[in-house]
Amino acid sequence: MGMPVTATVRDPGFDPRALDAAFAELRAVDARFSTYRADSEVSRLARGELAPGRASPLVQEVLARCEALRKQTGGAFDAYAGGALDPSGYVKGWALQRASELIDARELCLDGGGDLVLRGGPWRVGICHPLEHGRLCSVLELGDRAVATSATYERGEHILDPRTGRPARGVLSVTVTGPELATADAYATAAFAMGAAGPAWTAGLDGYEAMTVLEGGRVLCTRGFTGRSPRAHVVVRAKAA
Amino acid sequence: MRALTALIVTVAVVVLLARFETEPPRTFNPNSALGPVKTPRALAKPIATPPPRRSGEGTRSFLGPAMTTPFSAIQVRAFFTGRKLTGIETVLLSGDGPHTEALNARAEPILRESALEAGDADVDVVSGATSTSEIWLDSLQGAIDKARRRG
Repeated sequence: MGMPVTATVRDPGFDPRALDAAFAELRAVDARFSTYRADSEVSRLARGELAPGRASPLVQEVLARCEALRKQTGGAFDAYAGGALDPSGYVKGWALQRASELIDARELCLDGGGDLVLRGGPWRVGICHPLEHGRLCSVLELGDRAVATSATYERGEHILDPRTGRPARGVLSVTVTGPELATADAYATAAFAMGAAGPAWTAGLDGYEAMTVLEGGRVLCTRGFTGRSPRAHVVVRAKAA
Repeated sequence: MRALTALIVTVAVVVLLARFETEPPRTFNPNSALGPVKTPRALAKPIATPPPRRSGEGTRSFLGPAMTTPFSAIQVRAFFTGRKLTGIETVLLSGDGPHTEALNARAEPILRESALEAGDADVDVVSGATSTSEIWLDSLQGAIDKARRRG
C-alpha cells in the first residue's frame, strides 16, 4: 500500500515489541490485497484468474462490505471506480482497524497516512487545512473513535467520481469520525465525490459525523461534529522540539 | 441529479415528522393528548441550513408546501444555483410540547456552517494527507535527490 503507519502508545511501561503482531498483520494484508503485487489475491481476482466465490474468507468479507458501501453511497464509493477491482480505499482503513485490535494498549493512536484509529484519550487531532500547507483548519478532541480525511491537496492526486469517471468538484476536504475506520474512510471518499450534495448526505449517516470544506471556504458540519477553531489553541512548539 | 439526491436526503428527515397535507388541520386530532396545533407562524429569523451564500445571479428559490403533523408545521425554501441545491431555509416552524421539540431538534438544523479558518495548534496527531504521508514522501524525495547527486 506504500503508506507510512505510526503507532503512538501512552501506556507507561509499554513494550514496543507488542506492536510486532500488528505490523505483521499490516504486511500480511498488503500481500493479500495489494494491487501493486501481481501475485496478490486481489490482482488475481482483477485478472479473472480467481473466481470471487473461491477467494479467501477475508477477501470475500472485504468485497461484500465494498458492495454494501457502493449501494449505500449510490455509487459514489466504488471498488471498481477505475474499471478494474481496486478495494484499496476500503482495505487501508480495514487493515488499520484490524491491526489496532492486536495492540494491547489502553491509550493508542494508530496513524496510517493521516487516517486514525484512536483508543483511550482524549487525543487532540488537528485536521489539515486543505489550502494552506502545514496549517490546520480544525481541532478535535476525541477518544475511542476513528478519523478519516479525504482531500485533494496541492500535490495530491484527484479523487474521481466513480459515477462520471471525472475528478470530483466542489469540495476541498471531507473529514469523517465514527466507530470504525474503513467505513469512515469510505464515507469521506463518497462525500467528496458527491460534491456540493455531500454535506446533506453526511447529515443522514448513523453513528458517523462529518465536516466538509467546500470550494470558496464554506465549512459544513453535521450536528455531532465537535471541531473547534485552531486559533483558540496556543502553540507550544518549544516543548515538542 | 446531485441536487435531487441532496433534496431527497433533506426531505426524508422532514417526512419523519410530517404527513403531506396542504393545510393545517382545523380540528382536534383525536389521537393526540396535546390538543390542536397552534396556527403556524412565520419565523422572525429564518433558520438556514445551510444558508445560500448569495441570492444573486443564477440562484433561484423554491418554496415548498407547508406540511403539518398533529404536533407541528414546517415549510422550507430551497435555493438552487444552476442545477445544484445550494441552500435550505426554514421559513415556518411551529409546534407544542416536548415531543415536537425533540423531533424538531433532530431535523433542524441539519448542518452547521462556518467559515474556513487556518491556524496552528498543539495537537497529538494530524488527520489529512499532508501529515505523515507527505513528510514520508518528502523524505523519500530527499533521499532520491541525494542519490542522484552522488550517482
